[in-house]
Amino acid sequence: MVNFTVDEIRALMDRKRNIRNMSVIAHVDHGKSTLTDSLVSKAGIIAGSKAGETRFTDTRKDEQERCITIKSTAISLFFELEKKDLEFVKGENQFETVEVDGKKEKYNGFLINLIDSPGHVDFSSEVTAALRVTDGALVVVDCVSGVCVQTETVLRQAIAERIKPVLFMNKMDRALLELQLGAEELFQTFQRIVENINVIIATYGDDDGPMGPIMVDPSIGNVGFGSGLHGWAFTLKQFAEMYAGKFGVQVDKLMKNLWGDRFFDLKTKKWSSTQTDESKRGFCQFVLDPIFMVFDAVMNIKKDKTAALVEKLGIKLANDEKDLEGKPLMKVFMRKWLPAGDTMLQMIAFHLPSPVTAQKYRMEMLYEGPHDDEAAVAIKTCDPNGPLMMYISKMVPTSDKGRFYAFGRVFSGKVATGMKARIQGPNYVPGKKEDLYEKTIQRTILMMGRFIEPIEDIPSGNIAGLVGVDQYLVKGGTITTYKDAHNMRVMKFSVSPVVRVAVEAKNPADLPKLVEGLKRLAKSDPMVQCIFEESGEHIIAGAGELHLEICLKDLEEDHACIPLKKSDPVVSYRETVQSESNQICLSKSPNKHNRLHCTAQPMPDGLADDIEGGTVNARDEFKARAKILAEKYEYDVTEARKIWCFGPDGTGPNLLMDVTKGVQYLNEIKDSVVAGFQWATREGVLSDENMRGVRFNVHDVTLHADAIHRGGGQIIPTARRVFYASVLTAEPRLLEPVYLVEIQCPEAAVGGIYGVLNRRRGHVFEESQVTGTPMFVVKAYLPVNESFGFTADLRSNTGGQAFPQCVFDHWQVLPGDPLEAGTKPNQIVLDTRKRKGLKEGVPALDNYLDKM
Amino acid sequence: MVFYLIGLGLGDVEDITVKGLNIVKNCARVHLEAYTSILCYGLDKTNLEKFYGREIIEADRTVVEQESDAILNGADKEDVALLVVGDPFGATTHADLVLRAKQQNIPVKVIHNASIMNAVGCCGLQLYNFGETVSIVMWTDEWQPESYYDKIALNRKRGMHTLCLLDIKTKEQTVENMMRGRKIFEPARYQKCSEAARQLLTIYERRKAKGEECAYDENTMVVGLARVGWDNQKIVYASMKDMSEMEMGEPLHSLIIPGETHPLEVDMLETFRP
Repeated sequence: MVNFTVDEIRALMDRKRNIRNMSVIAHVDHGKSTLTDSLVSKAGIIAGSKAGETRFTDTRKDEQERCITIKSTAISLFFELEKKDLEFVKGENQFETVEVDGKKEKYNGFLINLIDSPGHVDFSSEVTAALRVTDGALVVVDCVSGVCVQTETVLRQAIAERIKPVLFMNKMDRALLELQLGAEELFQTFQRIVENINVIIATYGDDDGPMGPIMVDPSIGNVGFGSGLHGWAFTLKQFAEMYAGKFGVQVDKLMKNLWGDRFFDLKTKKWSSTQTDESKRGFCQFVLDPIFMVFDAVMNIKKDKTAALVEKLGIKLANDEKDLEGKPLMKVFMRKWLPAGDTMLQMIAFHLPSPVTAQKYRMEMLYEGPHDDEAAVAIKTCDPNGPLMMYISKMVPTSDKGRFYAFGRVFSGKVATGMKARIQGPNYVPGKKEDLYEKTIQRTILMMGRFIEPIEDIPSGNIAGLVGVDQYLVKGGTITTYKDAHNMRVMKFSVSPVVRVAVEAKNPADLPKLVEGLKRLAKSDPMVQCIFEESGEHIIAGAGELHLEICLKDLEEDHACIPLKKSDPVVSYRETVQSESNQICLSKSPNKHNRLHCTAQPMPDGLADDIEGGTVNARDEFKARAKILAEKYEYDVTEARKIWCFGPDGTGPNLLMDVTKGVQYLNEIKDSVVAGFQWATREGVLSDENMRGVRFNVHDVTLHADAIHRGGGQIIPTARRVFYASVLTAEPRLLEPVYLVEIQCPEAAVGGIYGVLNRRRGHVFEESQVTGTPMFVVKAYLPVNESFGFTADLRSNTGGQAFPQCVFDHWQVLPGDPLEAGTKPNQIVLDTRKRKGLKEGVPALDNYLDKM
Repeated sequence: MVFYLIGLGLGDVEDITVKGLNIVKNCARVHLEAYTSILCYGLDKTNLEKFYGREIIEADRTVVEQESDAILNGADKEDVALLVVGDPFGATTHADLVLRAKQQNIPVKVIHNASIMNAVGCCGLQLYNFGETVSIVMWTDEWQPESYYDKIALNRKRGMHTLCLLDIKTKEQTVENMMRGRKIFEPARYQKCSEAARQLLTIYERRKAKGEECAYDENTMVVGLARVGWDNQKIVYASMKDMSEMEMGEPLHSLIIPGETHPLEVDMLETFRP
């Protein structure tokens, strides 16, 4: 493949219908990066010369050493479809037309912007960031292990973001060589994976949705099979093409016969849907049998047979390859017969949407503003001449320490070197000036794995990097030229930063370097939180132990470059209540002229999850939201319409409801009460942790006659006090985070797993054998607090045979009254308060509750 | 012994009554309430200390509202005084302090003085004809209450004058500083007649846009008062529109929206036309 110049790439970018933006997503170790390599070796723009190196997209040294992807990496690939395959590209927005010799033809060159994402759950925020800027996803599943917990997590996210999936069954070589599965067994395995994937798709999306049918189905060709490691892959289209001539039917018709319960009778030469003694499943007969034949011939060193197959399949072996035998020959053979790159690029070009197709239905999910304003229309039509709308999804460190490229997707307009644009952070509110900068974009660049290339401008539908905006954005944001533009919606992560460590510089004089390093760390990772506590502590919060380990290493080696002291990891807790306040609590303002009467009560089960998941949203239309609350949670409709706000941060899982009757001037103090509510829910009364699942009711309010005596200074602290009093009188409880742990292991190791889990307050809720394999899958809940060192413990107790994947699943009440001395929650509260430098002991109720 | 609430009047140090001065000189402790108003020398207590010849303890909002025990402490055994600009029971009442003192069986005595509530009579409008007093609150981007408009409207309907006290912000914390418990205060700000007039006109525009009939418009005549009781006191009688551009000089300002006027009131007002 030719190396392209930047100008040529730039020309390709204008053919927006021939662009595919896609991410590769999967469970850890299912072979994404290895598979990506075969794409890179097939097609490549600047990457071409470097192709063939393994795990091209793992750019970091530690990624190569650990064989694990930590950061997502983008590369652009160019590839030309053979003219005969163009008929498979369907849909008016899926291809550009060019004029050749006076005739209109489909343009056969495709620009594929591919993002390889990490599979380990601790880094799933990287996946979220990757999904945001792409329109399609290649879901890779190891056909031996099947659909795993992280497969489901990332697929669910993809569907929620309206990303169209295609499926690839990887590691077929293992199924054939290690497990020695027969054809029918292998079919069943594939069938089951397809079904599992479709169940997930059906759960989180539906076929009537705006994306159209998104189920995966081998018979339409959006499921691939093969081995990334050995570099071969096929879809049913490849095989259908081989036989189409022989059968004299069309390729797409034949594909339908090559999957599912379609059986071919060799004698009558007829297809039927029922199996008889004489007939054989189409997939086994025409797809798997030839592959088995090749494996048998090559692996058992049957030279004559091999030579015959080489001849028959028209494979051209190089001179030095002719002497190979066994596994090396098999690799070469299969690679030449069914090259993975071709197959996958075809799948991508045929089945994944172009930006023009995708943005039509993604706009309403992406844009917060009115769906008919200039920006919305431009996004919807992917208009390069409209106003610039670009979403920055992450920051990528440059070789220049402390500086970052802002990485994101241009949804409309063009972003150009030297242009002036509005940089809107996540807290920007249209019409206000906060979190808004108008600055010049110093440079636009193309990002190619480990290389970057400066480029004049980048039009809509493409992925771009920007230089010079990193100092105005913390993690992500919206870049626009339209002055009335609202923000692009911020990303929702599937994991929460529940594990935290405190760091300090070994040498106190290095403190400024540490602070600077923490700021850089916060930028470089989409999710990590760096918190500067009032007590002078510096906290790093991440998704799990591995995530923190990598963050600390980055901080020490790249960002701060100083030796660090790290505390043991601790988890974040949440504060909640168990019953309704035992009285209507009253607090008076400092000037005693204003009185607030409130109560707290727990939310119904599931509501907090719905708020966090976005089903019940602060931005929803209030009547629609009230309807959901009334139907699903039996809230009183009139009350549910009077939700003042969500909190903390205006979106969190706590509610403030106005249940007052006929209070004059209530609206004037609403903002102050809301501010007090945000404050109280962010810093709970027990140990300064966030609150969760608490509903506060404002019952009555007595106000001073004159507006000046009921300003924020009077009301905000009073509101906070009354909410604290409400919590203290409603049986406060602590919530601790719990992981869902999925462990794959051989049967012999299962006993060891139970032992380890029991010691750590974990409990198993599912144990099953992976059909067709000797492997067992154990699923369990494990408190995050007990998970430190869990992986190592598990390995040593199972002889290194069990590998856990921990993903944050839910919050659970820690039994015991945190106000009663000697209980576990009480100990945690005291420890947390001490760590944060708060006053010892939970403040008594009379600090917050006033008498009439 | 006794807890004294002593009014300082509106002008300068010498406005304290003779009775008040004698008490100040004999009290064990004297506090100065330092957040609801200012005198012509700002509120630098050194001027007061020099004039009274004794030490004075400044009491800010937090002390008066939340740590009032610090003021009342020992008042049962010796005399303690709290100095209040204007009259102790004028615009800002200290009823809570009096209640607390009474709870502790401390006798309370009040030494009255002039307050803006009565000194506004100087513009010629009769105090008998004033309706409910309102405060015009400084608006922020998020917080723009209009409730005082309703009171003005009611007063106008009944033909009464409305005294508008203008907001002062001394020792105000930002929400963030309040949350962090940091005693960092914003610079003091005082609303001016022009700002208040602009604000009232904004409300007028909003109400008009909603199709309501408004209690006033830009041609309604209003009275602006600045530094009442000071040597450089200034009173201006002008239309709301002119007032919104009027420079009245240093704080403190007040604004009156007259109701129905007696001919004598009109004669007085006419003398203040710019």
